[in-house]
Amino acid sequence: MKREIRKTRPRLGVFKLASCDGCQLTLLDCEDELLALAGELEIVHFPEASSNTAPDGPFDLTLVEGSVSTPEHLGEIRYIRERSRFLATIGACATSGGIQALRNFTSADEYGEIVYAWPEYVLTLADSTPVSDHVKVDFELQGCPIDKRQLIELITAYLVGRRPAIPNVSVCTECKGRGTVCVTVARGIPCLGPVTHAGCGALCPTYGRGCYACFGPKENAETASLARLMKSLGLDEREIKREFRLFTGYAEAFRKESVRHE
Amino acid sequence: MNDRERTYKVDMLTRVEGEGRFHLRVEGGKVVDAGLSIFEAPRYFEAFLRGRSLHEVPDIVARICGICPVAYQMSSVRALEGALGLDPGEEIRSLRRLLYCAEWIESHALHVFLLHAPDFLGYPSAVEMAADHREVVECGLALKKTGNSLIEILGGRAVHPISVRVGGFTKTPTTEELLRVRPFLSTGLQEALETVRWAATLPMPEFEQDYVFVALDGEAYPLEWGDRVRISGRGTYPVGEFEQIFQEEQVEHSNALQCRLKDGTPYMTGPMARLNLFHEKLHPIAASALEEVRLELPVKNPYRSIVVRAIEIVHAFAEALDLIDRYRRPPEPYVTGEPRDSVGFGATEAPRGLLYHRYGIGGDGLVKDARIVPPTSQNQARIEADLVSIAPQLIELEHDEATLRCEQLIRSYDPCISCATHFLRLDIDRGGGGTSGR
Amino acid sequence: MGWPVSESGKSGSARVLERRDLSGLFSLLLEDGYRVVGPTVRDGAIVHGDIESPQDLPVGWTDNQSPGSYRLVRRTDDRCFGFAAGPQSWKQFLFPPKERLVKTVRRDANVEWVGSPLDETPLALLGVRACDAHAIEIQDRVFLGGPFMDPGYRRRRESCLIVAVNCSQAGALCFCDSMGTGPKATSGFDVCLTELEDAFLIEASGDRGGRILERLPTRDATKADTDAARAALEACKSSMGRAMDARVLPELLLGSLDHPRWDEVANRCLSCANCTLVCPTCFCFTIEEISDFTAAVSSRERRWDSCFNRDHSRIHGAEFRPTTKDRYRQWLTHKLGSWECQFGTSGCVGCGRCIAWCPVGIDLTEEVDAIRRRPDSTTDARGREDAGAARPGASKPVSSSREGTPPVAGAEGATAGDSSTRRRGVEGEQGLRTEESPVFIPAYKPAETVSEENPLLPTPAHVLGRRTETRDVVTLRLEMPAQYEHGPGQFNMLSLPGIGEAPISVSGRDEDAVEHTIRAVGALTKALCGLREGDCLGLRGPYGSGWPLDEGEGRAVTVIAGGIGLAPLREALRLMEGRAGRYEWVRLVYGARSPEDLLFRSELRKWREESPLRVSVTVDRGSPTWTGNIGAVTALLHRKELPRDGLYLMCGPEVMMRVVVRLLERAAVPRENVYLSMERNMKCGTGLCGRCQFGPYFVCKDGPVFRYDRIAFLFGRKGF
Repeated sequence: MKREIRKTRPRLGVFKLASCDGCQLTLLDCEDELLALAGELEIVHFPEASSNTAPDGPFDLTLVEGSVSTPEHLGEIRYIRERSRFLATIGACATSGGIQALRNFTSADEYGEIVYAWPEYVLTLADSTPVSDHVKVDFELQGCPIDKRQLIELITAYLVGRRPAIPNVSVCTECKGRGTVCVTVARGIPCLGPVTHAGCGALCPTYGRGCYACFGPKENAETASLARLMKSLGLDEREIKREFRLFTGYAEAFRKESVRHE
Repeated sequence: MNDRERTYKVDMLTRVEGEGRFHLRVEGGKVVDAGLSIFEAPRYFEAFLRGRSLHEVPDIVARICGICPVAYQMSSVRALEGALGLDPGEEIRSLRRLLYCAEWIESHALHVFLLHAPDFLGYPSAVEMAADHREVVECGLALKKTGNSLIEILGGRAVHPISVRVGGFTKTPTTEELLRVRPFLSTGLQEALETVRWAATLPMPEFEQDYVFVALDGEAYPLEWGDRVRISGRGTYPVGEFEQIFQEEQVEHSNALQCRLKDGTPYMTGPMARLNLFHEKLHPIAASALEEVRLELPVKNPYRSIVVRAIEIVHAFAEALDLIDRYRRPPEPYVTGEPRDSVGFGATEAPRGLLYHRYGIGGDGLVKDARIVPPTSQNQARIEADLVSIAPQLIELEHDEATLRCEQLIRSYDPCISCATHFLRLDIDRGGGGTSGR
Repeated sequence: MGWPVSESGKSGSARVLERRDLSGLFSLLLEDGYRVVGPTVRDGAIVHGDIESPQDLPVGWTDNQSPGSYRLVRRTDDRCFGFAAGPQSWKQFLFPPKERLVKTVRRDANVEWVGSPLDETPLALLGVRACDAHAIEIQDRVFLGGPFMDPGYRRRRESCLIVAVNCSQAGALCFCDSMGTGPKATSGFDVCLTELEDAFLIEASGDRGGRILERLPTRDATKADTDAARAALEACKSSMGRAMDARVLPELLLGSLDHPRWDEVANRCLSCANCTLVCPTCFCFTIEEISDFTAAVSSRERRWDSCFNRDHSRIHGAEFRPTTKDRYRQWLTHKLGSWECQFGTSGCVGCGRCIAWCPVGIDLTEEVDAIRRRPDSTTDARGREDAGAARPGASKPVSSSREGTPPVAGAEGATAGDSSTRRRGVEGEQGLRTEESPVFIPAYKPAETVSEENPLLPTPAHVLGRRTETRDVVTLRLEMPAQYEHGPGQFNMLSLPGIGEAPISVSGRDEDAVEHTIRAVGALTKALCGLREGDCLGLRGPYGSGWPLDEGEGRAVTVIAGGIGLAPLREALRLMEGRAGRYEWVRLVYGARSPEDLLFRSELRKWREESPLRVSVTVDRGSPTWTGNIGAVTALLHRKELPRDGLYLMCGPEVMMRVVVRLLERAAVPRENVYLSMERNMKCGTGLCGRCQFGPYFVCKDGPVFRYDRIAFLFGRKGF
């Protein structure tokens, strides 16, 4: 098959909002692929790695890490979106507000929010929200952090022109696929695997602990049934609430469930 | 020429972790204004750590930083175990030290090769650098990968490991699993020694200061365990007195709190501080590498930190090999204890320097309050002082070169800005009226 | 329960291997070069791993199982096999969770596809229980039964040696007895052990087993030995933890698609896929492309999939099983019902794993019992057999008779169409009565031919030409592979390395080329539509059932097409045009969204003006220059003659076909005269991956062309 010879490489931009940097680092952690990747993409803007910055783009592929957390971010993300052909958000902060979205749950009146931060001049939005709450996102790569192989797959799929193979299935699928024994069934340990999006390779059960949902909810997450299971395993309402309210707690399915246990 | 006003600034620092900028205004040969401004968005960890279970803390604080999550986990378990009165035992301590060695390797290799070296060789990034120095970049990537693989074995994954818990690990490796990575550590050690030799040949700007150095004082080279803090020229203090000795304060141009000694003196923490204060505790292989390149101690030129980091990479590999060779799998992967109303504190040496944690926990096992002082908070004031001190040199240089010299100086501290900005207080009053930009 | 004579032809009596000599069996297998896998304790369960000696076995261990719970418990003796099924079956070895199938290499304008190398190391499965031995035989039917064989599975299976173990105690969740799959292993092994006090009763089956047996230090079994073995099996049989009422399960389940129990279980089900993952017979898989950044080198990898996953039933623009209820119902009706139609056995062997390893402990034996209990009846399902006769509208009592006898009434009076189409009388036709659609249970028919070629290996084919049909539809002319024969209505799998593979109907052919008309809706179809003359792609096929043109001889044939649905019908029309005299008449009724979306315009004109075909075309919305019909295809059909004994062939969006089918029913056209082409998520095209299932049918091999009476009870129903 004659492949279109690209005359110019697609232009890549990498941006960071409010986050820990772990997802961008995952790109730099692709040690075996990094230099080859730099041959296929033109890294136009990636401040973590290069002093040649060009925040105005335009970009063919943009990766955004971090949640929208300050007034500046609101403008910034719209600016980035306008200049990007394909915008992918990477990581729990960008896809569901991150751990810092825990502040979204502080009980409040419904009539609007005022934030008094100390010091007063640090402006922060009351809520830490995912990028998709503000602009259209072409792909959300979940994870805290994202998985290196899935990131490579996303970029490869973009370059080759296929739908990325990022299966929206449970972590249980990964456990059983690698032969890990279910920590819930065999040890009574509560685990969010059945409602969590696969991607990490079922790390936590393999290391003897329950999944804590770094990758956020899978599609059709049956959280109510899982919450009842957790109750039967001995967790009280506060503990169940905490299970669903952690790194991806602001994602809709988990948010709704944790609120039911307040 | 000397009377002109010059402003050196970079609005967005690159090849550092997180978002910061610096400016330096010189008029008539004198510095009128200098500042390292951190505008990274704060995430208010302190606010939401309250009310969480103490067992969730290591997972949560890892997310303060993607490059040094192990450091946060290690400081937190040290502090929480102190609060619970738990001693995890020799074997767990060794495993933690091994995990920390792995993070040092990964973090230092990232900094030396991808973030700092391009400055010395005149490239905007390691990718451009690879066009002319491919083996150097590949060496760096290989070292980083080895560090990451070791973290993966112990911790499940390199960023935000999952097996660290209060009392130990959720699962410990078998000897076989560790032996599988041993050959890579051996090779890594040799490449790290080469790295020291190579770093020592890099063109080094001349700039020295009389620093106050601060590092963790323990039995071995400062890493995962130490009950005291040594301050050069001022003595040693228990970690528990940290908040009496050091003072954090807000400055208007920065989102991050700046930490200084109580009398306002800025200080340096990190590889140079550790080496200068505790070089006699270096692993013999690292010590001989130091001798081989004839590094003069104490190191007072911050640009030379790249050599110091390379030596610490050697040290980390050498220690890791020893730890693996001595490894005995503990009978239980972790110990447990009953929660009680108490306060615990702990300090460990992150790749970038001293990292202090303090937690108050309740009898219900929930966190009442938390205080975390990251190394970059502690280095901020010192960075600004360095910028002021280097100003006279800059007059001789072309403007762009001078700006780069300042950036390179800032990068010498390997700042981790996301870490530094997480800890501001946040009171959310969702009362009526007004919106804040939603 | 007698002890069968060993089939090896060697000495017929069973023999005995002393406990201390069991290690000899291991050494023998290892010496012979087998990779020996068997039960071993790890991480709080008995899993299957590499074992080298009897010490690696779970000596002195047993398990305590209940729904959603499994605990290892120490025995008071030193039995090696004193436990029931654990979380792992043997399918992970014969049908691994991930497997490379095919590799491609691009060389200039050409692409080469090569099958991935097959496993060389033979496996010895040591410790296979009767239920699992049956499960392996069941998977044999899936992967080797045809019409296509999986080469990887075949290689592993042929070289695989099985040492079965008879169970002497049943687990709390076991029900092999009621499924007829145990506890005694009667087939599917080379060597079989029954653990006694100090020894093992050992028998061989076949030459391979016999050769193992003769190299082991065994003695003759005494009557005491065989009595002990028999007693152990009897004890096991009578201590079964569970029982499945397995009577007429396909009829029961496929006839109870509206039972309220499905909603109830959906409240509990996590849709996590665990049951399918631990099940020893589940075989559904997906195929993913793997490539480097340029797809110069790429490969295809098969991975376990599950009907509980969204993508299992998803195609562009439609998700057939979006809810947990849909998915659970699919799983159970397949496992215990449709499976019999597809493979001639139940899909369940009574191992109980799905009950233990379901985190919320759903028990399928309980679910079946609940479904047997009619919601409006207080009597237990045992009286079920007569209930069919008492139901109004039922023509025959429920029985397990299959195709060849008239279809039977469903237990719940299943009706065609989902709730939204069951609006009787709403369409303004007074006195309209939609009949109940009887459940049709297709009989199992073994495949007539079994191809030994690698079914998933594409052949390179070059693009000989392309024609733009509309703004998003392109027809590609592809070079015909050697010896390529197909019938109208069939499809090929077209692939591009690194991008994927999709089923595309054949829309025409001539001497040198085969044509495909493709609509660009996703990454792959967009890429296919972008191909130029000379480009190379991969082709596999033809697959599926075709239009039964012979049935139309002497009859009035009406072809109904909507949108891209005209593509699979085009060739049928051309063929019928060519021999128009054979038919009473042939009419085409074709609708598209707008004039710009009409396909094959010049051909349509030619047919209308120069052939006996009667052509009627309509569009949903017109354009300034359109002077033809405006309205839905069904509106056009209303005005046409619809002879009852005519033949009707249709293809188009399902929503269109549902309306047409109702129209035809109102015109009293018998369902046997109507054929539709269905579309589902066909991933392999060869009846192996399970994703295209539509009730008991594989759309890729039983369809895509279906006779309507066979699918009426499912067609239009949500969740299928």
